Order: sequence, then structure tokens, then C-alpha cells
Amino acid sequence: MDLLGQYLINGLMLGTIYALVAVGFTLFFGVLDVIKFSHGDVLMVGAFTGFTAASAAAAIGLSHPLAQLAATVVFALAGTAVLGAVIAKWLILPLKTAPRLNILLATLMLGTALREAVRLFYPDGSNPKAFPALLPTTAWQFGNFTLRADSAILVVTGIAVIVGLHLVINRTRLGLAIRAVAQDEETARTMGINYTLIVLVTFALGSGIAAVAGVMDGLYYNEINFGMGLLLGLIGFSSAIIGGLGNLYGAILGGFLFAALQMIGAVAMPFASAYKDVFAFAVVIALMAWKPTGLIPERSSDRV
Amino acid sequence: MTQVLSRVPAFAVAAVTILLGLAFAIVFMEQESDVAVISLVALAAVAAWLGTRAGVADRVSAAAVERPGSIALLVAAAMLVLIGVFVEDHFPLLMLATVMIYGTVALGLNIQFGYTGVVNFAGAAFFGIGAYTSAKVVDSGLPAILALPLGAIFAALIGLLLVIPVVRTRGHYAAVVTIAFSVLFKTFLEVNDTLGGPQGLSVGSMKLFGWDFGDSPTFGDFEASFYLNYALAALVMLALVFVLVRRLERSWLGLSLDAVRLDETGAACYGIGIRRSKIFAFVLGNAIIGLAGALYGSMQGYVAPTSFTFSDSLILVAIVLLGGMGSPWGTILAAAIVVILPEKLQAIQEYRFLLFSAVVIAILLFRPAGLLPRGVRHYFPPLRKGAEP
Amino acid sequence: MSDTLLSLDGIAKSFGGVRALNDVSFGVDRGQILGLIGPNGSGKTTSFNVLTGLYRPDGGRITFDGAEITGASPQAVYRAGIARTFQRSRLCLELSIFDNIMVGNHGRLNQGLIHNLFRRKALKAEVDAAYAEAMALATLFSPNLGDAMFEPVGALPMIERRRIEICRALIAQPKLLLLDEPSAGMTHDETHQLMSDILSVRERIGGLSIIIIEHEMGVIERVCDRCVVLNYGEKIAEGSYQEVASDRLVQEAYLGSA
Repeated sequence: MDLLGQYLINGLMLGTIYALVAVGFTLFFGVLDVIKFSHGDVLMVGAFTGFTAASAAAAIGLSHPLAQLAATVVFALAGTAVLGAVIAKWLILPLKTAPRLNILLATLMLGTALREAVRLFYPDGSNPKAFPALLPTTAWQFGNFTLRADSAILVVTGIAVIVGLHLVINRTRLGLAIRAVAQDEETARTMGINYTLIVLVTFALGSGIAAVAGVMDGLYYNEINFGMGLLLGLIGFSSAIIGGLGNLYGAILGGFLFAALQMIGAVAMPFASAYKDVFAFAVVIALMAWKPTGLIPERSSDRV
Repeated sequence: MTQVLSRVPAFAVAAVTILLGLAFAIVFMEQESDVAVISLVALAAVAAWLGTRAGVADRVSAAAVERPGSIALLVAAAMLVLIGVFVEDHFPLLMLATVMIYGTVALGLNIQFGYTGVVNFAGAAFFGIGAYTSAKVVDSGLPAILALPLGAIFAALIGLLLVIPVVRTRGHYAAVVTIAFSVLFKTFLEVNDTLGGPQGLSVGSMKLFGWDFGDSPTFGDFEASFYLNYALAALVMLALVFVLVRRLERSWLGLSLDAVRLDETGAACYGIGIRRSKIFAFVLGNAIIGLAGALYGSMQGYVAPTSFTFSDSLILVAIVLLGGMGSPWGTILAAAIVVILPEKLQAIQEYRFLLFSAVVIAILLFRPAGLLPRGVRHYFPPLRKGAEP
Repeated sequence: MSDTLLSLDGIAKSFGGVRALNDVSFGVDRGQILGLIGPNGSGKTTSFNVLTGLYRPDGGRITFDGAEITGASPQAVYRAGIARTFQRSRLCLELSIFDNIMVGNHGRLNQGLIHNLFRRKALKAEVDAAYAEAMALATLFSPNLGDAMFEPVGALPMIERRRIEICRALIAQPKLLLLDEPSAGMTHDETHQLMSDILSVRERIGGLSIIIIEHEMGVIERVCDRCVVLNYGEKIAEGSYQEVASDRLVQEAYLGSA
């Protein structure tokens, strides 16, 4: 029972992180019809930015965990938001009219470049960094089952961010503009929406959310490394696909689904937990065979 | 200059260019110091730019269209000369063989997404399937030469497992399937002990009609590097695949594949089977990739999961894009650049992935057509404009 | 062999909540030219898409040349003998004119693997013959096309592209040709010329039936034997041009009620 509870919390934790990453992918696709493969690595940059901020804060004497946490989150968010917007402006938008494959490749390469840059230029970049434990570690007992405060806080935060995003998209004028641009660029422009601005904001938003995921990941595992973005990006992307690209709720669903698949894989094959990723990805492939456009079908956009 | 050039027969211009290229290659491969290498690269870049401005590139393209057979023979002869020059040296021959093997792989990828638009981010995985097949075949006592066709067959068969999701989906969805497979493949290899786990397996050498490729051929007094065997085998393989790809493109089949890539709806309304075409391209491409992989595994002498990662698949895709999608010559040139340059510039070994990504991004932004962009399809040479196909 | 070549009975098609086609029925006889007209959004192109298998109808039947083709794939519809052009020009812009026309010829060319890869002499003969045919057809519509046979289509102006699209459909030697606003973007004279060219090809092929979607009534009046008028996905009139032009419902649909 205790073990099951552990798996459950783990799954929820991972699911939240994956959902946050997936949401970015789906936002970018919705708005610009583009798969930004560098998303995972942007997330990694965010985690490193946060880490640097936390270390810097400690260095100048702000040793209170809350101050460090604030510094981490703020800088990670700001850093990735700016990075996301810059990527949108200088790489994605110029390639808008090029064949799809070009953007795919460009962003894949960008991801590689970010990864390598951190590995090479960040002090001791090729080794994992110990992320400070900035959250309270008190634990509560429920019978046989232990719930740690930091896990709970992370899950709650993650869900809060998702809910916040939902509110922004559906209840604000900005969200309305984003949805308009996602539906039809030309009409949105004619209605007076500043297309480029909205695109940049969307990318900043999606990237910022991923930064939260990156920081969460660092806080949970107490570690970040330069390669964390690759797998997370791939998982986030798969999750977004499972849920149907362009669909916000599908992305969230996909994220939790993927985490569940990993947990099932780990439980079913405790002897070789490394196989859990193989299992999860195999299921993704099988799902794609069954439902090519995701569980919640993508809106068809090809007019004859 | 352009005026002068237009009076010289295109074939002569192309021949001279190929000879110059050969001379350059010989000199380049001899260099050891980083300074020399970088200077030569800069020289080549400047020469290429000037040549394009002066119209040399156009004449060479025209020659390639008018007399493709002769041009191909000339290049093949140049390759033989190049191999001959380095016949005693292990490392250059190994590099040349690797270039030709990667070129073959890239040609296979070209069929998949250069012509048909089927994205494949698991190229390195299928390459690895061929290589591991080689290991197992030689290990099991079967005639080693069987490794090549078996590598092709296994790659094609395993590709079939993916074919339903790949074919049923468009663009980015197909991408995710192949990316997932690529990651899955490497993980699978690492945790699987029968396939050697993270250490991999050793591979015995190829044997053809009793001739062991691991033996150094001796001609009278001097002993050639045993890599000569592999280099020649790779050249033959590349030549055969090149001819196959060429013929495929210059046929009604090639046209159907292009139509599928450019407009599925239109193609369907004119009777072209979309799924059939994609499956055909995917399977054929993977078979070619697996074939090359089998030779590679044998040549390297060992196979390990770290050689067949997602990043390697990315490099393969980048080779196709760099050379020019759907352009066989461009693909081979790109393979040469991508394989040889990082090896020669040891100082930048560490930075090579970073530099490589930067270069590809630059190409995508500023010259997406690639180094030797693909031209219009001409079914049978010789061509006189507006007269015959 | 009956006179009726094509028959649509009670075709219905909805997209989400929108009823694009509602109980639409009409037919085309052999050798007949039918005009399909109606205001924008009335379901004309949707009818073509249902007919050619791009959309599955929610209800109704389609019969062609004695066989039922309801819900058939686009490839099967092509093989049955129906070829079409598209409202938004759908050509492969980076391919040559010859290549684009040969796409239309897909069914008449030998697509076998052995033939294409290994019997190169036979393939060359086939290519040469196809080339001659394509040249004859293309130069009929525009002499310029002959010189540009191996130029990429993307380099040509819109009008030439439309002509090439029609060549692509015609080279298939279909029994039924579907033209979707062929004159879009052309002047009066160019349209007139285009229709004359199509008619002369029709004579050579012998009894090609045509359904033509058009907004230019001059074209309809000149070439069509009969007309079908759609409005909001329903057929509101049928008959000769004169009959439908004077029909009150049709006038209201186009001009609004007084």
C-alpha cells in the first residue's frame, strides 16, 4: 500500500511536469502550426537559470530558502520567457513559409545547440548539478503512507499553473487573441490583433510554463543536468500528440497518461525499470497507429 | 567569365571541376595541422563562391543533366584514384569508406523524405539494426556475406512495425513515431544483454567468396591496408544504390512519390495510392540503410548502442538537408563534409555538435535549398531544352 | 448502355453542425455538359469533393457508368473515369509542366516496378510517346507551354497554371470531367478561348461529359446543355440556362429578395 501510494505521488508529480511541458508544445502548434523541438532544452536552460539565480542569491547572503526560491522562479521564468520570444522572432517566424521539415530540423538543431552550449560553457556543465532543496521537507503520515510536503506543494503548484493558464486562455482578452490567432491568422490580423506580438507572447508564455516544469523537476529530484531537456521534451511532445495537438486539455491528459504508462511499466517490470521508457514509448507508437491524430482528434485544416 | 564559360562544353567544365576536386581532396586528407585544414576549408569555400558567381556551378549542373552517366563514371574514377592514393593508410581509407557508407544511408533517407516526404528520425536506429545483424550473422557461423542482405531485410521488416503509424499520420506525427522509436531502440539495446548491453558486441570481418576482409591485400612488395577491402565494397554499394535511386527518381514511380509529398489530395484524385507509396518508400529506404549498416558494423569490428542514438539520426537527416533534398550528388557531397571535417579539425572535436547545429540552422535560414539543389526531373538524357524529355 | 452516366441521389453531407449538402440529387447524361451554379458557399465544391471521394457522404447514393461509387476512394473514382480540377489551383509547383501533366496520366502509364527500374528502353519509349501527347495537348491551350515543358510550374503565371491543370485532367481521357471555376482570374477573352479549347478537345476524345462550376454566366449559357442550381446546400432549380435564369427562386438566391 505504501509502495502504491509512493507510485501514485510519483505519477502525479511526473504527470504534472509532463503536462506543463506538453502544454507549451500544444500552444506553439495551435498558434503557429509549428513543432518547436527545442522546447525541452529551453526548459533545461530555465532550470539552469533558476539554479544560477539561487546560487547567486545564496552568494550575496540571501540564504533564506524562500528568498532563494523566489529568485529561482522569477529568473527562470523571465529567462525562458525572453528566450522563447527571441527564438520565435528570429528562428520560427522567418521560417514560417518554409516547408514543415525545415522548422522541425531548425528547432531540433537549436535544441542540440542549447544543450551543447550549456555542456561546454556553463562552469562544469557536463556534470549534474545539485539543486538546492528549497521546499519544506516535513512529512505527514497517513497510516502506512507518507506524504512529503515538498511533493504536495509541487503538485499543487503545477495544477495551479495549469488552472491559471486555462483562465488566461479562456477568460482574458489576451487569451482570446491567442485563440483567434490559432484559429485563423488572417482574420485575426484584420480584426486588429497584433499578430507578431501575440505570437511572441504565446511563445514567452509557453516557455515560461516549461521553466516552471524545469524548476519543479530540479526541486523534486534535487538535481539538474544538461541533458534533461531531451527526454523531457520528447515526453512532453508525445503527451501533446497523444492528447491531440492544439488541444490544451488533450495535452494535460496526455501528460498524465504518459506518467501513468511509465508507472505501469515500472510496476509491471520491477526487474528492469529501465524498460519503463521503452514500454511507454512503445505504447505511444501503438496509440499513434490506432488514433493517428491523437485521442482528441485534431481539427482538420486542409481546404480543398 | 560567364561568357567565356558558356562557350566551353559543359562536360569539359564539369570534368575540370571534378579533377580539381580530386586534387583538393588528396591534399586535404593529407593535412594534419588544424591551421592547414582551416585554411583549405576557407579556400574551398571561397573557390565555391567565386565559381558559382562565374557560372561554373550552372555549367556543371548542365553537364550533370546532359550526360549523367559520364559524370558518374568520372566521379567513380576519381574516387578510385583517391582510394589508390591512400591505399596503404588505415585512417584515410576508413574515412573514405565511412563517407561512402553514410552517403548510402543518406540516399536511403532521401527516398523517404527527399522524394516521398516521409520523415524518418530513426535513421541511426535502422543503421544500427543492420550493424547488429552483421554482428549476429558472423557470430552464428553463417557465411558473413549474408550479413549484408540480412541487414537490409531486418531493417525493412522492423520498419514495417512502424509503418502503420508512420503512414497513417501526417508530417509531425510521423516524426514523433520515428523519434520515439529512435529513443526506444537505444534504450532497448542498452538493457538487453543478448545484444551486448551498453558495451555492445564485437563483429567479425566480412568474408566474400573466401576472401576475408580483415586480411590486408598484398600486391607484390607492398601491403595495402585491409580497409581497402571495405572501401572498395563501400564504393560498389554506393554506386549500385546511386544508380537505383537515380532510376527511381527518373521514372513514373519517382513522379508518384514527389506528387505524394507535394500534394496528397491532388495525387489521390489522380489515382496515386498514398499509403502504398509511403510504405514503399519507407521500406525501401530502410532496407538500404540496413544494408549500409551491415557493412559498417563489419568494418568497425564492433557495435555499441552509443553509435546509434537520436543525435546520430539527426545528423543523417541534416546530411540530406545540407546536400539538398532529393539531390543524390548533393547528398554525397554533404556526407563527405559531415564525416571528414570534424575528424580533421581535432581542435573543434568537442564543439562539433554545437558548430554543426549552428551551421544547419544557418543553412535553413539562408540557403534552404542546400548545397546542390535538386533540379527539374529529366527522364532520359540528353536534354535539349524544350525538345525532348 | 443507358444514357445516364452519373447519378447523385439524395446526397447529404454535414460538417459538425453545418449542413453543407441536404438531399441533393442530379444527373449527367453521356456527352452532356452540366452547369453547377449557385452563390458562394452553396455546396458546389462540396458536391465535387463528395463525388470524387474526398468526403464521405452522410447519406445518399452515387452511381457512375452503371456502378455504385458511393464512398469510394479518390483513387477508385479516378479509375472509374472521373477527373477533376480544383478551385484553388493544386499543382506541384516545383515540378515541371510535363511532370504535372503526367500526374494526370497516372492510370494510363505503366507503374510497374520492374518496368520503371529495369526496362529502361521500354520506359523511354513510353516517356517519348507521353511527351508527344502532352505537347499536343498543352500547345493547344497555349503555344508558350510547349517551350516551357521542363520549367517548374511555379514560375508560370496563374492563367497558364490553370491551363496546365486542365491538361492534367484531360490527358487522363476521362469519361467525366469536373471543372471547378476554370475561369477564375481570367479575362473575358481568355475564358472564351479556354472554353473553345476544351470543347475542341472534347470533340476529339469523343463525347466527354463535363460538369462545370462557374460564376460567369456567359460561359454557362454558351456551353451548358443543362444547369443545376444550389443554394445553402439544396437544389433549388434545374433545367436549361434560360429556364433557371428566369426562375424566381434562383434570382432571389443570387440577388436577394426584393
